[in-house]
Amino acid sequence: MELILGQIPWIVMPIIFPLIGSMACFLFPAKAKSLGLLTSLVVLACVTRLGWQLKALGSLRYPMGGWGAPLGIDLYADGLSLLMLLMAALVGLGISIYSSSYFSRDKARHFWPLWLFLCGALNALFLSADIFNLYVTLELLGLTAVALVALAGGADALIAAMRYLLVSLLGSLFYLLGVALIYHSVGSLDIAILAQRVEPSPAMWTAVGLISTGLLLKTALFPMHFWLPPAHASAPAPVSALMSALVVKASFYILLRMWLEFFQTQGAAFANFLGLLGAAAVLWGGIQALRQTQLKLLIAYSTVSQLGYLFLAFPLGTSIAWKGALYMLFSHAMAKAAMFMAAGNIQFFAGHDRIAELGSITQRLPLTLTAFALAGISLMGLPPSGGFIGKWLLLQASIESGQWWWGIILLLGGFLAAGYVFKVIAHVFTHDEPTSRTVTLPATMEWSALGLALIAVLLGLFTYWPLAMLEMGSPFGTGHSG
Amino acid sequence: MDTRPWLLLPLLLVLGVVLSYAVLSIPDPAQELPTMLTDNMTISGAHNPVSAVLLNFRGYDTLLEMGVLLAALLGVWSLDEMPIYRGSAPDQILDIMSRQLIPVFILVAGYLVWAGADAPGGAFQAGALLGAAGVLLRLCGWRVNNRYSGLPLRVLLVLGLAMFVMVGTGALLIGSEFLRYPPTVASELMLIIESAATLSIGATLAALFLGGRPKGEE
Repeated sequence: MELILGQIPWIVMPIIFPLIGSMACFLFPAKAKSLGLLTSLVVLACVTRLGWQLKALGSLRYPMGGWGAPLGIDLYADGLSLLMLLMAALVGLGISIYSSSYFSRDKARHFWPLWLFLCGALNALFLSADIFNLYVTLELLGLTAVALVALAGGADALIAAMRYLLVSLLGSLFYLLGVALIYHSVGSLDIAILAQRVEPSPAMWTAVGLISTGLLLKTALFPMHFWLPPAHASAPAPVSALMSALVVKASFYILLRMWLEFFQTQGAAFANFLGLLGAAAVLWGGIQALRQTQLKLLIAYSTVSQLGYLFLAFPLGTSIAWKGALYMLFSHAMAKAAMFMAAGNIQFFAGHDRIAELGSITQRLPLTLTAFALAGISLMGLPPSGGFIGKWLLLQASIESGQWWWGIILLLGGFLAAGYVFKVIAHVFTHDEPTSRTVTLPATMEWSALGLALIAVLLGLFTYWPLAMLEMGSPFGTGHSG
Repeated sequence: MDTRPWLLLPLLLVLGVVLSYAVLSIPDPAQELPTMLTDNMTISGAHNPVSAVLLNFRGYDTLLEMGVLLAALLGVWSLDEMPIYRGSAPDQILDIMSRQLIPVFILVAGYLVWAGADAPGGAFQAGALLGAAGVLLRLCGWRVNNRYSGLPLRVLLVLGLAMFVMVGTGALLIGSEFLRYPPTVASELMLIIESAATLSIGATLAALFLGGRPKGEE
């Protein structure tokens, strides 16, 4: 048995199963819910199994079609891709459980095939080693994400989805133009081959500029975040969760991968520029979040702020800084998904998400509010939580490299986060008369939010595995470990 | 947001200048990959380099592209039902013309798939033709019978992607890499995939034109 399991190429499974699941959901809408849940479970199992393989091998390359790069397309997995896959699989399972009771029959028919396609696109993206193949996965991801945002119906959601579609296409085209320039000047699309051959030239600088612009637009880094709050806030709750937790991280992953492999040589000025934008995002997103009166918009602006932290690692550039940023990314995914689900529960129960009127609802939804508070702890970066570990590592890196000013941004961002989280939590302690509404909230919707929030907190207690995972295949190079 | 195109103009000009400079500064492209391609053509099962790249060397890209096409249709279907079409009945000439033309469309599409192995052609071109045939039929007032607009239509739509995934998984089951075709049957497998993809692409494009999901489905 072990022999057979060891020979299965687990690396392709997280891509194949969602595709099959999606087609099955499309063909048999009546069974979509169970098929979707099953697929999410299978994906998590496959990713775990792949992790097992990587533990022994460090990193893994797999030639699709048996040709191998540069003629064919390779898949590549190391600790970095595994972390992203695991994040997508865990959040994905949470979202599947949540969605199984959230959507009406009519919406569910459309939600499941689209969501599973999106899941497959994410996994394909995290595993790809080919810059054109990454473009194809970005397209699949973008299209399904837009359709899911529009699923909410209504003018707001449709306008936000339309704007998101245009931004997403613009980002993809910038990326594609950069890919064309790279292919023409280097003659290969495989990231590993590019890493060996890339030399600074005007065409390369232009390509780096174009690709970065496209990806930053999709990642919604300040000041290109304008499309994110309406799109994330007007989508159905599970879609908001997967957009904020997973979709924006995908384009960040591509940028990070390219940066680590061959963008790094393009100069420190660019790294500092990214760091500055990140710092501005942390502050601006935090201030905007404080000013919101709608719960979902507050959470969406918090995403703008939290995404900024990820870019603080670029000017620092050390192994610890990358680990800190990725720890932030992983725990933000869990916390933010939990938070959007909690907001979805509140909206489901109260019929609105106006923060000022939460007082009468909070006492009726103890589990949901606990999930919200736990997620908030991680976003603020209080111990023990994944957010705390991430910030700690970034702080350590900024002090070690003598760039202490990035540390100040971390602290300020934490204060702002505390402000907007308590703006919501404070309603728990008011003495408003509990509302007499008798909407029954499905237990799955409360428990899935709580489960993800708990993971975000537990990440602060069990740091060994995630950090060891990031060592696999040493994605950050062996030059500056520490 | 107000639109001030003259503000964008300098920005676009700068982008244009930078891009032109970058493109002009590129040295002659490396010839390694085209050479490699011609060397491997004989075992790829296709004689046309474009088909060999699309279906074999980079078949995985094409597989995902089929997914993109299906996802686009899913997105359109999730928005609304098909709008009600109130066209007048086509006159006799249009009716007879469409009856004569559609078989030709289908024949040419079949030819394009078949020729795709050796000459320019293939599933996407043939599928576009089929899609055009569907659009023409629709404009002439033809309707798909309700009996076929449920599961049978959906099967047709996923056929291309499903065939691709099945062939890929089949390769896994006989112990080789995903999507690796055994050289002896490579051309046959590619023809099967292309035929399935042609049908799906044609159906998807025609369905996208209709602008919504079929009515009264389940």
